[in-house]
Amino acid sequence: MRSEREVHTAIERYGDTVQRLCLIRLKSHADTEDIFQTVFLKYALRDAPFDSEAHEKAWFIRVTLNACKDLLKSFFRSRTVSLEELPGLAAQAGPEYSPVLEAVLALPQKYRDVVYLHYYEGYTAAEIGALLKKNTNTVYTLLSRAREQLRETLGGDGDA
Amino acid sequence: MRKEIYSAFDSVHASRELKDRTRAFTARRQASRPRSPRRWVAAVAAACLLLAAAGIGGHWLYFTPTAAISIDVNPSLELEVNRFDRVIGVEGYNEDGRALAALVDVTFQRYDQAVEEILNSETVTALLARDEVVTITVTGSDTAQCHRLLSGVEGETAGQPNVHCHSANHDQVEQAHEHGLSYGKYQAYLELRALDPDLTPEDVADMTMGEIRDLLRALSGQGPDSGQNGRGEGHHGQEHNQEGARETHAGQQGGAQGAGQGNGAQGGGNQGNGNGSQGAGGHRYGR
Repeated sequence: MRSEREVHTAIERYGDTVQRLCLIRLKSHADTEDIFQTVFLKYALRDAPFDSEAHEKAWFIRVTLNACKDLLKSFFRSRTVSLEELPGLAAQAGPEYSPVLEAVLALPQKYRDVVYLHYYEGYTAAEIGALLKKNTNTVYTLLSRAREQLRETLGGDGDA
Repeated sequence: MRKEIYSAFDSVHASRELKDRTRAFTARRQASRPRSPRRWVAAVAAACLLLAAAGIGGHWLYFTPTAAISIDVNPSLELEVNRFDRVIGVEGYNEDGRALAALVDVTFQRYDQAVEEILNSETVTALLARDEVVTITVTGSDTAQCHRLLSGVEGETAGQPNVHCHSANHDQVEQAHEHGLSYGKYQAYLELRALDPDLTPEDVADMTMGEIRDLLRALSGQGPDSGQNGRGEGHHGQEHNQEGARETHAGQQGGAQGAGQGNGAQGGGNQGNGNGSQGAGGHRYGR
């Protein structure tokens, strides 16, 4: 088990990463807190050390993506809205994102993952393949299709 | 596009509140987590304690004697019986008793089996064959149990004319133990002492019950089989008493005589006058 200080440091360091992964995976803000709790509690209770910072970061990405997957799998979660959330739901149409981010979030989920991991986190196709347990070539294909779609949406030049 | 996408994602941050709430949540869970194994330990400890308490309680229930069966021939021994009518201890009250107690292994047996085994032991059967008398006394604070034990022992010894069964109360047993005797022998000792105050518990401790009975009969001057000897002793005792009484009488007489003689001697010293004067005086006073 990790000290409170370690957990605090991890939240500061990886909080944004977890938040962004929740954004591309969940879309619903309400579930983000659940994911935060799941991921950082898992970290807090984890005894095994990390080989490196890269290892630690990859661990956070994998655990967050799995947590999101588990959450979405839950039928109850996916079909219901708690009473506490209900009043705020109409007002909460979601924060305003930049057009680029809106375009990325409009992509199918499998494209969103690779776009985020490649363009923001800077992972190579091989690394993304390892993270998502996908063939490297599949990752290449996903990336190129995502780019195409974004170009269509944004009408950009496509320099990747 | 790369830069745009990067800066688009870079604008997304976890809110301060979300981070703080997550921090508080993990801290709370971490604080409660080590308590769970502790709770487990506490639960196990409590269970152990309960078991131990039950064990101690059971031990106490089982190993607290609630009644005693005192068996006296010459070997005097006592069986400590618990509330479940099991023998939990055998104590010899004289040397033969201790030897017999060491010889028979009746601990944890039912009381009736234990009595049977002791009565059937070589030592006791040999004594019974010599027409010795066995006294079995049941004592205890629980009257119901005493009745049960007594009837059980009586049933066990029904065919044996030389075996006598009694029951007694707890205080009497304590007194017996204070004198170093088993209860049956102590009762006999009390009977004997009423007839002969000089007898000590030590005198009785190594006598057989048969010998004690004979002595009792002898001292009380009755009993069919002590016959002439007993009567003779009784008679002798009476004679002795009469002589004593006579001696006392004679002593008194002697004293009176001595006094008379003294008077006589005194009177002899100044005969006539003294007597005369005494007589005169007497007369004078008399008048």
